[in-house]
Amino acid sequence: MPKVKIPRKSTSVDMTAMCDVAFLLLTFFILTTKFKPQEAVAIDIPASTAQIPIPDKDIMMFQISPDGRLFFGLDDQITRLKLLERLSTRYELQFTQDQKDVFKLMESWGVDIRNLPAYLDMSPEERSAYQQPGLNIDTTGGQSQVEDLILFSRQENNNLRIAIKGDKTTEYRHFDRLIQALQNRKVNKFNLITSARTAQE
Amino acid sequence: MAEMNTSDSGSHKKGSKKVRTKKMSTRVDLTAMVDLGFLLITFFMLATTMNKPKTMEVNKPAKEEEKVKEPPIKMSKTATLMLGARNKIYAYVSPDEIEAGTEITMDSIDYSPSGLRKFIQRRQSEVKALYGDQDELFIMIKPLPASNVKNIVDVLDEMTINDVKRYAILEPNDPIDSLIALQTGQRRK
Repeated sequence: MPKVKIPRKSTSVDMTAMCDVAFLLLTFFILTTKFKPQEAVAIDIPASTAQIPIPDKDIMMFQISPDGRLFFGLDDQITRLKLLERLSTRYELQFTQDQKDVFKLMESWGVDIRNLPAYLDMSPEERSAYQQPGLNIDTTGGQSQVEDLILFSRQENNNLRIAIKGDKTTEYRHFDRLIQALQNRKVNKFNLITSARTAQE
Repeated sequence: MAEMNTSDSGSHKKGSKKVRTKKMSTRVDLTAMVDLGFLLITFFMLATTMNKPKTMEVNKPAKEEEKVKEPPIKMSKTATLMLGARNKIYAYVSPDEIEAGTEITMDSIDYSPSGLRKFIQRRQSEVKALYGDQDELFIMIKPLPASNVKNIVDVLDEMTINDVKRYAILEPNDPIDSLIALQTGQRRK
């Protein structure tokens, strides 16, 4: 009997389809990725069973660090600029175009409004190394700066929702100061940001 | 090669031979490209934050001056949770009327299902026995300054889990609250 000869097949496979799939997925991930914005302070949010996802736009975000420093952020660049205009008239500050451009791109910040021009003048490296002291929530002499921020932002965009992102270990007294400021501006409804978890039995 | 030859031999026999380029296969080895593609996919998959943070809606009662006068709630329908430092809750039920010699028992519980959840469920069944509906229960949450944000989130969460319909975050203004704060060695304001 003659030996059955198995023809030797090439081991190379057509990679075209695989390549297509790979790049399709790649495109998808590139388009959906939203990189975490650089945060002023690391905040470890508490977990809850709440199921409502945070809305994509019209958010006014307050962050409270574990040591009680308060940070403010608006999600929309146009509203940010409008807010800066209002602040410059209210606090009699002049902002240069460069400063405005920097402010427009800031996700969140926490400095006294009077020190804002100096903060905006820093180079990007200096700014990220700078330990921000937090917003000035002092109420001496009328309303606090935080109340001004709430009022002006809401006047510029009245669909704004207020979200509060507090660290797990932030003490209630820090949290309460912010709530007092919100309630002074007649905001009685706000959202706490939490991460998802399931209820334990 | 053919060209090299013609140039060597000079002008003689020029153009008599057609220059033929070899037909090359159009196939390219895509393995490396696929590798690269998947590498980038891996990177973007890891960099993406898929789970969006969730939010929890909080409604605070309006400040005193604009508050509409509401009929006072019967205290026997309520339960008070005072959130203290070191993840402790001081829970008590105050009686309808406080007279001299009235005793109030205060429980010190924690945030575990066997602590807080059990307390709420016990109160729910007590209120149901008294008023026929467990939704009559009104829970007053009074955070002390030393409690933290996680405590509040946990308590509000427990309200959702146990389906407590009526609750509010209030300030610890009651005389009983001050007494408890004093007893447990915590600041009230």
